[in-house]
Amino acid sequence: MPSHANLAVQTIDVTKVYRVGHISYSALRGVNLKIGKRELVSVVGPSGSGKSTLLNLIGALDPPTSGRVIIDGVDLRKLNEDRLALLRNQKIGFVYQTFNLIQRLTAVENVEMPLIAGGVPDKIRRSRSLKMLSAVGLADKANKRPTELSGGEQQRVAIARALVTRPALVLGDEPTGNVDSKTTIEILNYIVQVNRTLGTTFVLVTHNPDVANMTHRMITIKDGLIEKEQYIQRMDSYTGS
Amino acid sequence: MRTSDIFKLAFKALRDRKVRSLLTILGIMIGSAIILALIASSSGLSAGVQAQVEKIGANTLTVSSARQFFASGSSGTQNYQLSQQDVNTIKSFQGVSDVIPYYSQRATISYGGNSIEGELIGVDTNALFTMYKGLNLYSGSLPGSYDPSAAAVGYSIAFPTGSSDQLTLNQMISITLGGQTSGTLTFLVKGIFSAYGRVLFSDIDSTIFISLQSAQILLKTQYFSGLYVMTSTAGDVTTVQQEIETYYGTQVRVMNAGSMVSSVESITSQMTVFLGSIGAVSLFVAAVGITNTMFVSVMERTREIGILKALGYKPKQIMGMFLSEAILSGIVGGVGGTILGYVLSFMIGGALPMSGGFGMSRPGQTGSSTTLTPVFTPELIAFSLLFPIGIAVLAGLYPAWRASKMNAVVALKYE
Repeated sequence: MPSHANLAVQTIDVTKVYRVGHISYSALRGVNLKIGKRELVSVVGPSGSGKSTLLNLIGALDPPTSGRVIIDGVDLRKLNEDRLALLRNQKIGFVYQTFNLIQRLTAVENVEMPLIAGGVPDKIRRSRSLKMLSAVGLADKANKRPTELSGGEQQRVAIARALVTRPALVLGDEPTGNVDSKTTIEILNYIVQVNRTLGTTFVLVTHNPDVANMTHRMITIKDGLIEKEQYIQRMDSYTGS
Repeated sequence: MRTSDIFKLAFKALRDRKVRSLLTILGIMIGSAIILALIASSSGLSAGVQAQVEKIGANTLTVSSARQFFASGSSGTQNYQLSQQDVNTIKSFQGVSDVIPYYSQRATISYGGNSIEGELIGVDTNALFTMYKGLNLYSGSLPGSYDPSAAAVGYSIAFPTGSSDQLTLNQMISITLGGQTSGTLTFLVKGIFSAYGRVLFSDIDSTIFISLQSAQILLKTQYFSGLYVMTSTAGDVTTVQQEIETYYGTQVRVMNAGSMVSSVESITSQMTVFLGSIGAVSLFVAAVGITNTMFVSVMERTREIGILKALGYKPKQIMGMFLSEAILSGIVGGVGGTILGYVLSFMIGGALPMSGGFGMSRPGQTGSSTTLTPVFTPELIAFSLLFPIGIAVLAGLYPAWRASKMNAVVALKYE
């Protein structure tokens, strides 16, 4: 377990209750979680266990019903809408199962989107985005629209978009759920490489045991609670931070 | 986030849905064009009337017998008729410098193959240049007072548009009078006036002038159609008008150029308001169109809004992005509408060459005297450019706000 000062993410007694009319449903029922900086973590569990809900809370997209979410030492309760947006823009990258690219924009324009929000000047953001695209092996597809790209290529564009701001934390919601096994391995290798070289913290929600096995730690969630946490014995020579 | 980036993204979004964007813009354009064209035309009309009034001058009054349509008592009540006695009476009033009596009658003027609808005016021909400022002879001379067959004609009687037959001096023309006196009269053309245009209710260019004495003989009446009263100064007009009205009561109708200007102005300003509000209504309809388009657009792009939120766009930035789509539509619609309205107002005025040849005018009526030149003030142009933008902003405000307030998680799940 990482030490307190070195935490990327901490949740304290986090609950989330969804209310639809008179029916309320507890998605999270008191989650205490600590994820260290430079950690590569997977969150697994059956459908409806609360994995994605947890990811949304950590990603500052949704407030918890109770409890606290602390990202990089900052309690999210203390931030207003604008500060939360700024936090997402500067510190967090998202990768989704469905890629969530903007269809009318080209690959490079999609990668530029978070930099535009941050007010990065035209030329700088274009060159950073192109660099990012070539890092994920899509230098020649920069001006293609998502519809002209394969699923794997689209996900690599999404990863480039998540990493272009050099965030401290990247959250993946089934990032390999819609790509073939070959691309899954490519993407995972790239994630491991980024984690190792840049020290980016990754939290990956997944159903895929292969994905979980490549991470440092696997957190299992069931019925809105952490059921177990296990450190993965890795085949490579990863030594931690 | 930079403003230029916001507009670039807005432009890309509009371009992505070309047909819908163009239809929205078309709605704005039509509204803006209608407002501009109608206001420019009606202020052109007002300016045209004002110019006509100015030809008469500010120190002129017109006295005519009041038409007593609803006279009390028997239906046989005669209108008051103006005679030489009234000329003398009014001449004696304080501030009056001259009184010029005249006869006027609608007439059809024919010669060669031409038949022209116009007016016959009998007046002391020497007074013509006093009555109509800037009028002068194109050729020939004024008919003498005691030459009952002599006449001077307006420019478009002599040179009708679209006819090869043209009048020369000393040519015979025949006149068929309208109204109660009928029969054909024959005159010798002694003079032709230069083109002059309209003055209040008469078109000088299609008028035939004869001397007062000739008219008196030919029309067989000693009662005048009206009197031109010239005052010593423009300042006397109101007092003289009051004097005449006090003396005659409701038997005569007195008009002065100034009051005509104000009555015309009140009519045209009412017309401007009326027509302008038609344009405003169409712009309002366009605004509803923008709101509708934007709502659909916000709904369709719910997922995109979720993505933007996840990428760290602030609510204000998201609102700005959607609002600037409305602003862009407003700018394009406003500029396009202003251009369209400019063209349209000339089509309404009929001053464009393309509308001149439609044969709308009667033979003998020249285009120049009946067309209307639209008036574009800088304020009007600015209004027609900026108002649509303001409308677009208002129309886009609520949908854009809705977009900015969307819950990110819900938006990201939207299919």
